[in-house]
Order: sequence, then C-alpha cells, then structure tokens
Amino acid sequence: MGDKTSITFDDRTPRNFMIASLFWGIIGMTIGLLASSQLSWWQANGKFLEFITFGKLNTDGLDLITFGRLRPLHTNAVIFAFVGNMMFAGIYYSTQRLCKCRTASKLLSLLHFWGWQGIIVGAVLTLPIGLSQSKEYAELIWPLDVAVVLVWVIFAINFFWTLAKRNEKSLYVAIWFYIATIVTIAMLYIVNNLQIPTSLTHSYPIFGGLQDALVQWWYGHNAVAFFLTTPILGIMYYFLPKAANRPVYSYRLSIIHFWSLVFIYIWAGPHHLLNTALPQWLQMLGMLFSLMLWAPSWGGMLNGLLTLRGAWNLLRTDPVIKFFAAGITFYGMATFEGPLLSIRAVNQLSHYTDWGIGHVHSGALGWNGLMAAGMFYWMAPRLWATKLWSISWANMHFWISLVGILLYVGAMWTAGVMQGLMLGQINESGTGLTYEFVETLQAIQLPYILRGVGGLLYLTGFLMCAVNLWQTARSGKMTDVTIEVNLLKSGEKDNMKIGELIFHRAVVYTGVIIGLVSLWFFTPFTMAATILVAIVMVGIVVMFEFRWNSRSWANFHDNLLENYIPFTILVFVAVAIGGLIQIIPSVVVNRHVNVEGRLQELYTPLELAGRDIYVSEGCYNCHSQMIRTLVPDVMRYGRPGIPDDYSHLGESIYDFPFQWGSKRTGPDLAREGGEPIDEKKLVRVGKRDNLWHFNHFLNPRQTSPGSNMPAYPWFFEKKTDFKSLPKKIKVQRQLGVPYPTMTDHEIEQHAREQAMAIAGTVADSAFLPSRQDLSGPELRNYLSETQFTAVVAYLQKLGAYTEQDPDNQPHPLDPDKNLPAYELSTKN
Amino acid sequence: MSDTDNTQYRRGDFARAKGEVILREHEYDGIQEFDQKLPNWWLFTFYGAIVFFFGMWFLYYTIGVIPSDHERITTAVASVNEKKSAALADTMSNLTDAALVNEWATDESRVKAGEAIYLQVCIACHGPNMDAPTKLALSLVDHEWKYGNNPLDIFKLINNGTPAESKGMEPSGARMMAFGQLYTPDQIAELTAYIISKNKEDFKDF
Repeated sequence: MGDKTSITFDDRTPRNFMIASLFWGIIGMTIGLLASSQLSWWQANGKFLEFITFGKLNTDGLDLITFGRLRPLHTNAVIFAFVGNMMFAGIYYSTQRLCKCRTASKLLSLLHFWGWQGIIVGAVLTLPIGLSQSKEYAELIWPLDVAVVLVWVIFAINFFWTLAKRNEKSLYVAIWFYIATIVTIAMLYIVNNLQIPTSLTHSYPIFGGLQDALVQWWYGHNAVAFFLTTPILGIMYYFLPKAANRPVYSYRLSIIHFWSLVFIYIWAGPHHLLNTALPQWLQMLGMLFSLMLWAPSWGGMLNGLLTLRGAWNLLRTDPVIKFFAAGITFYGMATFEGPLLSIRAVNQLSHYTDWGIGHVHSGALGWNGLMAAGMFYWMAPRLWATKLWSISWANMHFWISLVGILLYVGAMWTAGVMQGLMLGQINESGTGLTYEFVETLQAIQLPYILRGVGGLLYLTGFLMCAVNLWQTARSGKMTDVTIEVNLLKSGEKDNMKIGELIFHRAVVYTGVIIGLVSLWFFTPFTMAATILVAIVMVGIVVMFEFRWNSRSWANFHDNLLENYIPFTILVFVAVAIGGLIQIIPSVVVNRHVNVEGRLQELYTPLELAGRDIYVSEGCYNCHSQMIRTLVPDVMRYGRPGIPDDYSHLGESIYDFPFQWGSKRTGPDLAREGGEPIDEKKLVRVGKRDNLWHFNHFLNPRQTSPGSNMPAYPWFFEKKTDFKSLPKKIKVQRQLGVPYPTMTDHEIEQHAREQAMAIAGTVADSAFLPSRQDLSGPELRNYLSETQFTAVVAYLQKLGAYTEQDPDNQPHPLDPDKNLPAYELSTKN
Repeated sequence: MSDTDNTQYRRGDFARAKGEVILREHEYDGIQEFDQKLPNWWLFTFYGAIVFFFGMWFLYYTIGVIPSDHERITTAVASVNEKKSAALADTMSNLTDAALVNEWATDESRVKAGEAIYLQVCIACHGPNMDAPTKLALSLVDHEWKYGNNPLDIFKLINNGTPAESKGMEPSGARMMAFGQLYTPDQIAELTAYIISKNKEDFKDF
C-alpha cells in the first residue's frame, strides 16, 4: 500500500453534461414529434403557420421545417446531443470513481463540454437551411465534421490521461466499453467523413456509389453500436450494480460478450443494404454476422438483468431500478429484433418500411432513453447532495414512457408490416401488383397518428423528468465529492511489454483463425475447402489449449486489464478487422469494375446542380434510388419486359454521395428519368414529364391524390447556383469522374442553355401562382434561373446508363466471382 | 458497498465448475463481481450462430449449391413476364373492336370498374372531365384520337403506353406509361370500355 491522499472529483462536468442532455433531448424529441405529424398532415410542413399567424405568413410550405430537413435534425439531436451528452455525463462521473482519481484536465473537460454544445448549435443552424451531406447520422457539413473530430480527440486525451493517472490497478468492465467507444467512433467518423470541400459549406465525399454505401453503413450501423450501445453498456455496468447494491452476475460473461460484441458488430453493417445492388458476398457477411451478434448482445442483457437477482424487490420502490430493468429489457428486445431483420428473407418485407423506424425507436426510446432517465435519477441527488424531489413523479415518468414506447413501436410494426405486405402483393393472375404506392401510404395513416401519440407521451415523460430534476437541484447544493484513496506506486500498473501482448497464445490463435477465415472468403473451391479443414483443425487445437490452459489465459486477461494501452490496441485491432475485409476489396481492388454491365451516364452541369439540391433538401429521407433484386421491386419500378431490371452497381458509380436511401415514404426514383427528346440531349422525359413535375412540386396532391409529400414552393423562387458549378466539377474530376475538359465559362453556359431548354417545355402551359404576371418567354426566362429547373433536370436523368460488357475485367477480390455456378444473369 | 452482506460467498478469482459461485477478490469503487459460468442455452445460441455462419458460407460459396440473387430474380421476373404475355394473348383472342364497343362498353359493371380505375389513376393527368385542363395529357373528349381511332388502338395505347416512335406531347414531351405494367388485360379492357362509353359518337360505326 502506498501513500494516502484525498481527492475531490470533478463533478461539475457530469452535472453540465446531464443538464445539456435533458435540454437537447427535449428539443430533439419535440422536433421528432413535429416531423412525425408531417407524415400524417402535409400542412405541418409550414401551411399551419398561415393559420396560426392569421394569414400573415402566406405559404404552402416553409423550407426550414420541411420533413427532409427536420428528420436529420431530429436524428442528430437525439443521437449526438441527447445520448451523446448523457453518455459523457455517465463516463465523466464513473471513470473518475473507477480510476480513483480526478479527471486529468479541467481545461480539456471544459473544452469538451462547450465544444460539443457548439457543434450541436452548429447543427441546429445548418441542417434546417439545407446544409447537409445527406449521409445518415453524418449529415453535418465538413467544418462541423472537423470540429467533431477535434472535440472527440480532446475527449480521448482527457479520458486516456485520466486512465494513465489512475489509482486503481485494474480496469473495470465499464471502462472497457468506454475505450471501445472512443477508438471506434474516431475510426468510423473520420473514414466516413473523408471528403473534398468545394466551398466553405459544401463538399463531396471521396467515396461514391457502392463504396459510399458500404462505408456509410459501416459507419451508420456502428454508430448505433459504438455510440448508442457500448457506452450505455458501460454505464449500465457502473450504475446498475451501484443502484441495486448487488455484485455483477458474471465477470467471465463480461469478457466473452465484450470481445465478441466489439469484434462482430463491425461486420454487420451491410445488413442495411440487403437485397440491394451490394455484392452478394457482402450481404451474406452482413446477415451471418448479425445472427452471430445476437448472443453477444444478449450477454450484456443477461449480465444486467441477472445482476438484479436478489434485488428485484427494489423494482417496487426504486424508480432507478425500474428504468434500468425496463431499459435493459428493451435492449434485449431490440437486439433480438436486429438479427431477425438481418435475415435476408425478413428484410425483403421490412426494409424501406416503418418497421425499421419502430426498431430504432425500441432501441432509442426503450434502451437509451430509459437508461438515461435511470442514470439521471440516480446521479442528480448525488451531484446536488440531496434527495430526489419526487419519487411519484419519477414513477409517473416511467409508466407514461412505457405506454408511449409500446404505442410507438406497436404502431410502427403495424405500419411497416402492413405496407410491406401491400407493396409486395401480386394480383391473382400473378401478372401485376395489387396496390399503387399511394394506396399503401394511405393504409397506414392510423398507425402514423398513433405513433405521434406515443411520441407525445414519451416527451411528456421527459418534461416531467426535467421538472423533477430541476426541483431536486433547487433543493440541494452543487457538490463535488471528496474521497480518500491509496496512491498507486509507479510500476504497479501499465507494465506489460508489447511482446507479452502480441505473442500470447490467445492472441496468436485468434489472429490465425481470423486470418484463415478471411482467406476462406476470397478463395475458390479447392483452396477454400482446404482452408476450411485447416480452420476446423486449428479450432480443435484451440479448444484443447483453452481447456488445459484456461487459468493462464484468464491470468493473461487479468494482466491485460492492468495495462490500458495494450488493451486499447487490442480493442482497436478487433474493431478494425471487419471494416478492412469488407471495404478494401470494393474500394481499392474492384473500384472501377463494379459496373455489372451498366455504366452510369455523367451528369451535365445543370443535372449536377439539381442533384446537389436533391441532396440538400434531404429527399433521400423518403425516396430510395435502388430497385432491389426482388420481384415486387422489379415489377413496380423496373421497365417492362426487362427481367434483370434491378439496380446494377454501375448505375450509381458516379454518385457522390450515393442516394440509395433507407426508407420509402414515397416511391423509389431509380428509374424516374428517361431518354432525351432533343438532339442536344438537353431535355429528357422519364416516367413523368416536366409539366407534371412543375405541378407536383407546387402541389403534390394535384398530381398524386393522397400523397403526403410537402410542397416545394421555394423551388420556384430560389435561384440555381450556376457560379459554383466549375469548382464542383473540378472536385468531381479529382474524385475520378471522367468529365471532359470544359472551361468555367463553358460549364456555366451549358447549364444555362439546358435550363432554358427545360423551362421552354413548360413555360407555355404552366401557371405559377406566385408570379402570375409572367407568361410565355418571360416565364421561361424566369424559370430557367430557378432551382425547379435544375431539380427536374436531375430527376429526368435518373437511371440513365450505357451498356457495358459485364465480363471485361477481372475482380481480384470478389467471392461472388468464385461461385462455381456463377453466371451473370444477362443471358436471358 | 460495505453494507451488502455477501460474506456467504467464497472469494476467489476463478470459478471452475458449473454452479460454483465465486465472488471475485477485486472490487471497483465498491462494485463486486461474481464469476459465474455461462448459461448453456446462451452458449448454444452463440455456437449455433457460428456453425450456421460456416454452414451457410460453405453452401453458398464453397460448393455453390444455392443460386445467386441475380439468377433467382431474373428467372422469377421472366416467368412473370411470360404469364403476362399469356394473359394478354388470352384476352386479345376474344377482344375485337366490335366486342369492345357493343359488349364491354354496354356492360354497366365493366364500365363501372373502368371508371373506378380512371378516378384513381387517370384523373391526375386527364382530369375529372377527361378534357385534360392542366395540359398534362391529351383530352379524351375532343374527338381526336392521335394514336388511332379503333377501340383496339385505345386498348393497346393504354396497355403499352405512348408508342416508342412518338415524341409525346408538344412541347413537354409527356408520355403515358404502359399501364399493362400495373393492370391486368381485363382491367385495361374495362378502362377502354369506360372511355368508349364517354365517346359513344366516335365509336358508333363498330
């Protein structure tokens, strides 16, 4: 035992983060409520303002609050502002106590707190004005991305510095999860946000089409894993045994489920792209790893719920335990549902429907929200050295939340399954589809309203929580806890040599097996069979080794826990492998050959401008551009008489960023465009003509009765940004898009010429209510400058491609090419 | 957590047998940990999923007994297309200009069915009075039949959409989609019958 000293914890930081979490949580949920009402009533996109201002604000829709812009604000607010701040509160509170030392730097803590709030304010200011990258949960523009990385690095330094100073030899399981969170989010966020700016507020990602899809969902899925799951598991491991006053159920379960969770989670990303143009081997990996993920996830749930053995009586009296027990149960439910939805056959029905929305909310409201509330109710009385103001308010919060979640999730299941079944229903003769898209949308209006009610109840619960905590804080005094600790002597911790780590048998065997399995993926039959035999043999050896040496392997892990740097390195290796094996073949090796016989036609400058507007408006929130390899998809969205008219990889290869989408509140747009009708290829007409689009953007319900799409009146007021096009095309060329050489002047001229040509197709027949003074050539000139023309140019280009020879190049790392019976389907 | 009485548990670091309950020596901020062996059912789901992983990959990629997505979907859609052609041929074999005008267009239930489709879909472009007031489509009550004035021409136009060689509407280039994609040949005949019933004069010679 070393010297004793007394330490005062920095409890101000967790206090601040907790307040911020509640504040942003309530804002984020309110935005969600507004966005959900927009799906039921299109007037909620701005028309309602006309009513509440007694006609002073005359509008069919307000761009700032339109669904496509609000939904990213909602997801970013609840993920990064609500759960993010909650997670930081929990991490700062528990890490100090688990390390028996004060957080390393007061300055870094302050920078972290205010930097993070600054980023959130930045998001609130940029997303509603349409500054968005359109990558889900990574919509923030590049300057904010840079800020996120900086603040995250500040957080990481502060955290690891605290670990280095710790007076506790060994790292508790909560810390393992915090470490995994910090290193993995850094990796994911940086790679997914690699981009080249074209201006201060706009950029193109360096990945396009398939590569972008793969990287985005590697990020998107694992943001769920390492931002919404692992840190909260860490928080569970600290606060639950504290609140229940019971030992954790099983230390070895912690080890097994931690390592299997962080290793396997990363591989499951492609399950967001099942049955799409994503190469089949990646889909198979995504599905199979998701199924393997079920047990590791439930390991966390078991360790939580079984810790409550002997403390279940607290469920009656202690709201904290109530929230934790329900939160962990929802975690178990969501992580059972996840693998289920990852089965490709189930995903056919569920994907692109509200089932997905229901699934994430059972996680977000059930797991994250209830765990947050439990932690707040536990922490607040301690941070203000008082008692919780009202237990009955907390109980009421619990029950109202529970009813809200069940209503929400039940409504979304109903909506998702019903719409999925209707969309896939084929008429009796087996030759056509039974329902129009809009009919399926109208069928789920009641569940949409019930979902809103569920959300409102949940929000009410959190408002009660805020009142309760406010009153609690008022009744107490901000207090920083002081404790006595024994100082650790140097040399008592962090003394593992790097050789001890990498040459330990447990590490070597794991490496060999993962290496062999990866080889197995990429090798054709004979070789693959040999490798499989080798895997089984090594597996058997490992089993016996583990049986005989289990004690020494356990000691190795105990030793690892006393060395935070080797532990962190091992975590990083475990989380990096899945991404490397899945992404590298498609990004580096097969980059230019992933065309599957169809190569996308380049966007003209005006079409590119239109595409950027499509991206900035968040159209991807409701419209996919992906015809899946499923009969109802090809029948509904493919062209007549072409059996392989699903989306091929090459059709989106020049899309920076990709727009495959993840939800269809409206129909798919992959083949919305069509052939040119003039010699200069300036005007195209697809499924609908330009006049139809004109009327549709002014009032979607005129051309599509029953639609819930917002009106876009500002498309007829705002000007297309022609001036930025040369710079944008220059960046696209850097990204590998083979644009011909054009001077800046030529680019702008071409765009203006095309805009005039398109405007000319509608000007004679169109009626623009906001500019009734214009008609004929004047209207044509006016429209050619507006965003409407650019967006229509883009929409009419969707699906344009040229045929290519599918077998022209080798695919060095492509398991699908190894299929013994593999033949490209174009033979029909 | 000194107030918890866990003294009945043996302290140690490593449980060796199932059912043995050991409370680990180390405590973290008062948090204690048991070292229970893992529940069998949990282990089996984990092992089962791993075995399933190897099995599925083996079936798909090592021996390739399962057809690829592209093979599967192309065959399935091709068979739908065949059914569609068969159904069309079936309807067409009994469908003549005279039958459309004198049997279908006079059968109230068929005309009603056609009207229902019109009100649901066609109305968006051709308008409630069929005069296409928004100029999105051709008028259906101006006695001009741009793509042929036989009843079967109208049937084919609805079924196949604006002919490929046509430039569509002037100047917007608007084209009608092939509603044969969405509706059965019988439904298209009903729709044709509905349109004929609104233009009796034009088709009185059949």
